[in-house]
Amino acid sequence: MDYFEGTRRARRRDAALAAVLVIAALFVFFLPGAYQAPVRQAVRGTALRPFLALQAEIAQRRVLAVDVAELRAQRDSLAAVAAAQAALAEENERLRALLGLRARAEPSFKAAQVLRLGVPGAESSFMLDIGAADGVRVGSPVLAAGGLLGMVVEVDEHMAQAIDWSHPDFRASAMTLDGTAYGLLEPRRGAFREADLMALTGAPFHSDIASGTRVVTSGRGGMYPRGIPLGVVVGIEEADTGWRKSYLVRPAVRPEAVLHVLVGVRKDSGGKGDLSQLWHVAAPPDTMDSAADTARPTSRETP
Amino acid sequence: MTDGRSWPFWTFIALLAILHFLVHLGLGVGVAAPDLLTVAVLLGARRLRGSAAAALGFAFGLLRDSLSLSSFGADVVSLTLVGYLGARSRDFFVGDSLLFIGIYLFAGKWFHDVVYDLIAGSTMAGDMVVRLFVQAPLASLYAAAAGVVALVLYRIVVGAR
Repeated sequence: MDYFEGTRRARRRDAALAAVLVIAALFVFFLPGAYQAPVRQAVRGTALRPFLALQAEIAQRRVLAVDVAELRAQRDSLAAVAAAQAALAEENERLRALLGLRARAEPSFKAAQVLRLGVPGAESSFMLDIGAADGVRVGSPVLAAGGLLGMVVEVDEHMAQAIDWSHPDFRASAMTLDGTAYGLLEPRRGAFREADLMALTGAPFHSDIASGTRVVTSGRGGMYPRGIPLGVVVGIEEADTGWRKSYLVRPAVRPEAVLHVLVGVRKDSGGKGDLSQLWHVAAPPDTMDSAADTARPTSRETP
Repeated sequence: MTDGRSWPFWTFIALLAILHFLVHLGLGVGVAAPDLLTVAVLLGARRLRGSAAAALGFAFGLLRDSLSLSSFGADVVSLTLVGYLGARSRDFFVGDSLLFIGIYLFAGKWFHDVVYDLIAGSTMAGDMVVRLFVQAPLASLYAAAAGVVALVLYRIVVGAR
């Protein structure tokens, strides 16, 4: 039966079956996002699992091939820092005990490897080799050495899928490093991936942000911790009829160059924290938070 | 392209699909590797009824779409259509020569890219005209060349003409 030589009736039945499949395919396409995720996770966890595991294995071996001399230099530097801070740690522990404070919480971030998805439709997204079992949840921030890379959007037991800042759905509440202008950071697609930029939208019209100003996360909205570098302003994008301005921002992290990341694995690694010290940036305190605290009624005023 | 035995051919189609995911996903090569999944659907469709070829495209499309966040289902639709039309193409074009297969793969892959772009173009980077008339033909040429090479290897292995 190399060639289909059916009767007219059989041909019609075949065409009807094919039409049903095309309709089913359209149904899959128009499926709401909440129903698409389980289908994706099921296929990824079964048929595609060996391929993802292979890439994770290759990434693991790539780590092992890192230059030993470079690692030794980093370890020596860290050992020097740790030795210098040993007395501080001891003193901190003693003071906490005196004040009756509980021990410091465990680290809020977990190291992970980035797995690339070389298929159409997966641009601006990547897989991580840690998942729900490691404490990753939907919305967890993904940090690279230079700053914020993206956020987790789907979590399996031992894997997670995340989007980087160039994804159309990415948004981050941002501010200039000196805290004079706040806004929302969103991606701007270039003609090719290397030309992708971000835009700081909704900045007040009266604020003039100079080129070269650093932009960091503001911590508002509870999505990302405060003080994570996002990029550097490169110029004005548009002035919206005297109300607000948008600025183009050169991102601090190029997604294609990232191999290892840190992923927020606890609830309080979201907007509550302040990570500005990690990148040696001095983000000012959020005046909105303190204003809200001031405005909040005390228990006496509450009827 | 057609010979009496069927299991070696379907093993060949399965190997093409496995190789596609091995290169694109396992090794993380990305667009630098040819689209062997569409080639597998196009070659398989020439031996199947329209509905079975559409089912093959549906299944392969679902596999590839499971990695897609922004355009889930676009490849299911485009590969289902490619499968069905590939099977129906036997009614109009018959041939087993490598030149014919090459042209068939090129046209089929380009058609796939056009349909995919029409469905999911809003989520893709770059200019649509460039995508459809520069990137898509080049990707189609690459896939067709890879498909012809794979078919030649298959024919050598099974001893077909």
